[in-house]
Parts: sequence; C-alpha cells; structure tokens
Amino acid sequence: MGPVELLHMSVFSQSFSPCGRFLAAGNNYGEIAVFSLSAALSPDATAQSQKPVLTFSAHEGPVFSLLSNDCHLLSAGSGEVSCWSWAELIKKNTKPLWTKRPNYKSSLEIPEINSMTFNSRDNSLVLAGGDNNVHILDLERGLFKSVLQGHSDYVHCVSVRGREGEILSGGEDGAVRMWDSRTGQCVHCIEVHKYESCARPQFGKWISCVTTDSDWMLCGGGPSLSLWHLRSLSPTSIFPLIGCQRQTSFYQDMILAVGDGPAVSHCLLGGEVKAQIPCSPQSLNTLQLNTNSTDYRVLTVGGSSDHIDVFTNLSYRTFSFSF
Amino acid sequence: MGAVTDDEVIRKRLLIDGDGAGDDRRINVLLKSFTKWCNSPGTPDEGSVKGSLQTTCLHFVPKNLIQVLFVTVFRFTQYQRMMGILAQCEFSMGKTLMVYDMNLREMENYEKIYTNIEQNITSAHDKIAECKKEIQRAKRIRKNRQEYDALAKVIQQHPDRHETLKQLEALDKELQQLSHIKENVDAKLELRKKQFHVLLSTIQELQQTLENDEKSDNDENIQGSPAQNGE
Repeated sequence: MGPVELLHMSVFSQSFSPCGRFLAAGNNYGEIAVFSLSAALSPDATAQSQKPVLTFSAHEGPVFSLLSNDCHLLSAGSGEVSCWSWAELIKKNTKPLWTKRPNYKSSLEIPEINSMTFNSRDNSLVLAGGDNNVHILDLERGLFKSVLQGHSDYVHCVSVRGREGEILSGGEDGAVRMWDSRTGQCVHCIEVHKYESCARPQFGKWISCVTTDSDWMLCGGGPSLSLWHLRSLSPTSIFPLIGCQRQTSFYQDMILAVGDGPAVSHCLLGGEVKAQIPCSPQSLNTLQLNTNSTDYRVLTVGGSSDHIDVFTNLSYRTFSFSF
Repeated sequence: MGAVTDDEVIRKRLLIDGDGAGDDRRINVLLKSFTKWCNSPGTPDEGSVKGSLQTTCLHFVPKNLIQVLFVTVFRFTQYQRMMGILAQCEFSMGKTLMVYDMNLREMENYEKIYTNIEQNITSAHDKIAECKKEIQRAKRIRKNRQEYDALAKVIQQHPDRHETLKQLEALDKELQQLSHIKENVDAKLELRKKQFHVLLSTIQELQQTLENDEKSDNDENIQGSPAQNGE
C-alpha cells in the first residue's frame, strides 16, 4: 500500500468483534483490516500495536458496511454480502463462510449495498441497496425473502425499530419510509425536506443517516439533523450543525453525530450542541461505540483518511489506528 | 540451634555490634577482669605498691600492714569496678528489652492502621460503584426529561383543545341553524310548488271544460241546423 493510496483512502465502515477486543474496518479499496484493541490499550503498547493485526481484501469495490453478531462478521460491498467468522479471522484465516447476492433486476450494473442492519425479531438481515430497494435476507435459511420497493432513488441507510418490528429506510430521494417487517408494506413516508424547519435546500434533500431507539428517530443528510417523535411523526428538535451528517447514534442521554467537518458533535436531545471534539480525518464517515466489552469501552471514528481515531474518554482523542 | 548457620550468627552479631565499642566489649572486659580478679595473687607486686605508696601519706604505717591493706583495697576496687560494669550491662539489656517491646507495639499499631486503610479502600471502591450507578440513573432521567421537553415544544405549537372544542361547538350550532333554515325554505318551496300545481291543474281542467263546452255547443249547432234543414 503505497503512500498515494494511503492518502486517498477513506474508511467507510467499522465493527467491533463480539468479545470487544478487535475492531474491523473497511475502506474504499475493498480491504478489511482487523485491529487489536486489547494490544493497543494495554500499558505496554507500542507504535506497532496501532497497525492492523490482519489486512485482507474482501470485495472488489468499497466496503460500505460492516456488521457483527455473536460470531460472524458481515461485510457488504459492491452488490454482495460476505460472511466471515470472527474466530477464524482472529486466527488470520481469511476465507469467507458464504457470499450472497440479492436478486437484482438488471444484470448490467451491479448496485452497491449501502448499509445493513439486523432485525432480531425474525433473525433477518436488512440491506439498503443501490437499486432503490430494501432487500431482506433470512439468516436462518440463507435466502432473500422479500424486497421492499417504494423509494425512487437509492437507499442510503436502514435502521430497525425493535419494539414495533418496523424497518426505517432513508434514501437519496429525501424520503424516510417505514415498513412493516412482516407484511412488507410501507406504513409511513416522511419527506423530511418538505418541513421548513429541517430543510436546507443548499445541500439537497438526500437522507444519509437514520437511526432510531424505537420512540425517537434521528435523521440527517442534506436537511439538518433532526430528532423526530415517531408516534406523532413530527420533528421535535433541529440540531444547528454545519455540514451534512453521515452517521449518528444515541448514547445515554446524548446524541453523537459525525459528518462533514473534522469533529465529533455531542448534542443534547433538546437541540443544543454540547461539544465538538476535533479528530484527525478531515471529514468523518462512520462512528462506532464498543458496547461488547466493559474493559474497552471506546468510541472509534473513521473518515476520509487512513487513520481511525479512538476515544477512550469521549472528551478527547486518545490515539489513532492506521491502515 | 543447629539450624542456624554460623554465617547467620556472624552476620547478626556484626549487625548488632560490629565495631566492638559497646555491650560486647563490656561483657568481654567484665569476663577478663573477673578471671583476673579470681586469679589475682594475695600479695601485690612491688612496683605498684611503691607507686601508690608514694602518692599516699601512709608512710608511717608498717610495711606488711600496708601491703595487706593495699591488696584488700585493690581487690575491693576491682570488685566495685566489676559490679559497675555488670550494672551497665544489665542496664543496656533492660534498654534493649524495652526497645523490643516498643517495636512489637509499633508493629501492632501499623497493622491496625493497615487494615483500617484497606477497609477504607474497599468502601471507597463500593462508593464509586454506587456513584456510577447513580450517574447512569441520572443520565436516564435527564434523557427522559429532555424527551418530555422536546415533545412539549411540539405540543405547544398546536392550539389548545378547549379552544378547538369551543370553535367546533360554535360551528356545529351554526351548521344546525343553517340546516334548519334550509329545511324551512325547502318546505316552503314544496308548498308553493304544490299550490302552483293545484292552481295550474285547476286552470287546465277549466280550460278543458270550456273547450268541451265549446265543442259540444258547436256540435249542437251543427246537429240543430241539419235538423232544421230536414224539416
């Protein structure tokens, strides 16, 4: 990996291992690198421990999404989903367990998979596809069981409302659609850019991040990052962040958001921005919190650089992993 | 005693009293002077007696008597000296015993303080865990409060329910009144229609009757004239 490639690298996705000691990160060259958190956070860490313990090529195109469950790592790239076993990866064996491809209508161009999430109610994987559809893969039988059609442009992000069993998807067409996971019908459709308080016409109407904790939803992208109450489908708070947000997450009583701009924003539910913590990449694409381990509770962010910043205390950057 | 090696004994003795100026020397001196005292002859040697005679003013006392006196005095002084050294040794032994006692008590004291501090550490750990739980609870409460505030903001934007109900009631009343009026107007219209219908049908009938009458008159006239012609 020469210096020019390192300069042009972007990290698109991250995922922590189920034991919480390893971090997998996917970049735009189709590689996945596994970093050891336990080595990097131990008292006798060296500069070498901030390099990956394993780097392998996973897909031909960029790895847009990584997801972990109890023992597997799922990666999605240009049109296909691959599954790797964490135990095998820790032993440096990089053979995937399986690779599947959703049924695309046109075989000329392969649409990419932008985002994935688990629906634990019926043990299925929800994929946000570039062919304007949301595909659902049944993990038990390994078959694609349904396709949710309704978006008119590619789907950026998906999220699952656990309690109600609904799937939320946000797309380039500016709509956030809510689908019932059993019937596959679109229950609601919110056009965020139509609400005056959220809309930012200078950026466009696309929605790039949707996340929910069953009662509330955060969505952002072209329009400002806004907090919505799902029962009443009304926007309750608008966050005055400059730039488009690409990933957000609820954490305790705060909201963490990353996007344009070299900072992680901490916001309160009321709509005020509490803090903006600077980090090394110029703009950030992905944010992950390690909830799988109590010893290594860190926040990691990655973006348009070959460095992944690690925060052990949310207020400052501790060190960076590099590819 | 056989378990302790010579090295240990030597090391301990050097540690305690290595330089030879102290209790060890005193005990050795005592032993030597005791053996000397036990083995000392009845008569003293000439030189020491002469030397001490010259310094004393006992010239007039006979020589033998002086010699015996001198020896007893000499032996007595040695004896006193030895008793003094013995007392010194006893004194230092007593001192060491007291120091040993003091050290033991200090050790106990330190042990007590040590266990006390350990207890404090564990209780502090527990308190920290408690406080962390409190923080989590407080954060949840804060999150809930913020959610309420956000919802309240949205709700405030909508108009009051009473107002809306009142408006609805007023509109209902208006609607009722208007429909009442409409009903009345409709009824009137029906009535007038019916009356006009009656009027028109009467006129029609009258017209018919008049026509019939005219026709029958004409018929009679026509019938009447041929009858007249026939006669």
